[in-house]
Amino acid sequence: MLKANSLTKNFNSNIALNSVSLSVSQGEIYCLLGANGAGKTTLINHFLGFLKPTSGEVLVNGKCVTSNPLDTKRDIAYIPENVMLYGVLTGLENLEYFSALATGRKKPRDVLRKLLADVGLPAEAAERRVATYSKGMRQKVGITIAMAKNAKALLLDEPTSGLDPKAANEFSRLLKTASENGVAVFTTTHDLFHAKETGNRIGIMRSGSLLAEFNSDDVSHADMESIYLKNMRD
Amino acid sequence: MKSFSLILRNEWRIMIADKSLILVCTLLTLLLSYGFFIGLSEAVSRDERVRELVSQQERGQSGIVEQIQRIVSGHEKPDVFANPLNPALVGSGLGSLYAIMHSGALSPLALGQSDLLPDHYRVSTRNKTTFMYQTENESPWNLLTGRFDPVFVLVYLLPLFIFAISYNLLSSEKEQGTLRMQLSHPVTLQTLMFGKLFARLVPVLGVTILAVIVPFLILRGDAVMVSGQLPHLVVAIIIIGAYGFFWFAVTLFVNSFGFSSASNALILVGTWVFLVLVAPVLLNVFVSRMSPAPSRIELATETRLITIDGLNRYHELLSSDYRHIKDSSMLVPSDGKFEVPERLQAFYLINKAVDEKIETLLGDFESRLRAQQDLVERFGFVSPSVLTYEGLVSLAGTGTRRYQDFKQQVNDYHREWKEFFEPRIMSGQIVTVADFEKLPRFTWQEPDVSILLAGSLAKALQIFLATVVLFALGFMRLAKVDVL
Repeated sequence: MLKANSLTKNFNSNIALNSVSLSVSQGEIYCLLGANGAGKTTLINHFLGFLKPTSGEVLVNGKCVTSNPLDTKRDIAYIPENVMLYGVLTGLENLEYFSALATGRKKPRDVLRKLLADVGLPAEAAERRVATYSKGMRQKVGITIAMAKNAKALLLDEPTSGLDPKAANEFSRLLKTASENGVAVFTTTHDLFHAKETGNRIGIMRSGSLLAEFNSDDVSHADMESIYLKNMRD
Repeated sequence: MKSFSLILRNEWRIMIADKSLILVCTLLTLLLSYGFFIGLSEAVSRDERVRELVSQQERGQSGIVEQIQRIVSGHEKPDVFANPLNPALVGSGLGSLYAIMHSGALSPLALGQSDLLPDHYRVSTRNKTTFMYQTENESPWNLLTGRFDPVFVLVYLLPLFIFAISYNLLSSEKEQGTLRMQLSHPVTLQTLMFGKLFARLVPVLGVTILAVIVPFLILRGDAVMVSGQLPHLVVAIIIIGAYGFFWFAVTLFVNSFGFSSASNALILVGTWVFLVLVAPVLLNVFVSRMSPAPSRIELATETRLITIDGLNRYHELLSSDYRHIKDSSMLVPSDGKFEVPERLQAFYLINKAVDEKIETLLGDFESRLRAQQDLVERFGFVSPSVLTYEGLVSLAGTGTRRYQDFKQQVNDYHREWKEFFEPRIMSGQIVTVADFEKLPRFTWQEPDVSILLAGSLAKALQIFLATVVLFALGFMRLAKVDVL
């Protein structure tokens, strides 16, 4: 569903991505680990079409992102580290707009209210201006937008960063539900525990290169930590 | 298209929630209404003044007619210096009539030249400089003097309101992080920007146009219909629309570079200063250099010299005795004739000579003023503000061109007036009651409407062309914007 083929991105003399190849199939949760500046967000930006590769290509559902920027966006939903919404509108109004923008169809408000309730946003908060929301509440609206899109792939850029453990756990549960429904999930994170608990496949990235890739079932928590630290040190 | 209307409606929702749209629309309506109120007050007071002059004139004329009847029937002795039978006195002031250019139905839209140039002259047998050229000639094109009328609000303030509501179309989305959220969905940056732009353009221009049309239809509707100036109003709206579109295109173009909100604001204000303040002044300087304004001093000096020449030439006539003052029977006609004092004949001849000799000078004056106006119209494209101002004042009937036409018509009327009195003055024919009915009267002939409308539409077209170019450039630039 999501595929990067020998993807390289240079910003002048700076190599942000160095021949990265990876793929995420339907129902798979791929967790990409790496320190700040490793190139994780740059990779996501390529899937979103915000950046054009220097060489190589990125594919969504078999279609090249560069030549089909709009088509490929129909198949993906994106949740950034900080879901930014319109502060003067309510959570429900934001959801109504973004989900309609995503699908081209306006969903009934009752359906949207239910979706917000499903991700744990209190009914009272849904009718409040987003300017009064905490980060966690905004993330929940972001998740709802992604769910309402019914996308074939989810792109998440450090989605649990800044969330409390309970919220992060709920979030992992949502990702698992999505993958059970056949959605390909690609998420970047610093959180090894979250990666091990949630992901099927795990990749480790440093300085724009994908250094290691393995199935999460093949390693224990302790092994994973040592693999990660080893790759960070080399 | 679906995304476009979705973005449009979402923007309205946001701008209603943060009250920015309501604030801008309310302020714009208030300012335009106040401008209309000022324009209307001016137009009404001008019309009242003209009505008062006409009624004074009618009262004066009937007073003279009655006095003639009393003198002829021997009930009254004529005054030496105000004898209504004397054609030289009647023609040179006693019976003078006003030449009036009536204000147009759309005059509240723009004061234009109306507070600078006269809309009426009291025409007499005296030379033209005595009643037509006492006003300032050095600034015939008094562009954008800051008077508070609807045109001032439209030309000066409308762009600022447009900036206030759209200077950060793209930058605000980038700065608050919602741009990424939106562009992660199947929508292009161009659709997003055009949606956001039209969400502002439609209400702002809608309110502007309504705030111009509605007061006219309510308070001047009859005048507009009766005078057949509905097409003028329609063309005025087209110009206003084009001007509004132009400034929105400017904001889109500036936004398309992807600068920060602060930079956008600075660039837009700089553009406004250049196009609204600097360019018209530069155009004025250019026009003044290419076709220098006629000097009023030159005119005054020339008039004085010609008058002195006349005084010398008609020295003998002017030296005639004053026996008619002592012999009042000379003031009463016999057989429809009486002796017009030679002094008065001399005054008439001096004035006639001044008119004849000054004709070339005044002709040069008028042609230079027309040349200036032609230059303004030819080079008006340097600023849409100039085009809008010129277009709207022309449609309002307060533009330079209409006043120049008025002067031309008054010239012709002056000639007609003199032709009427000259034989009477020179042959000593008295003015009779019947003569008063035959006095030449001035009727203002409105210049060709089709030329005015076509010229105004051409101005709107020039603004539209600039708008289309800016929209196209903005559209192309948006494709290159770094959304990150």
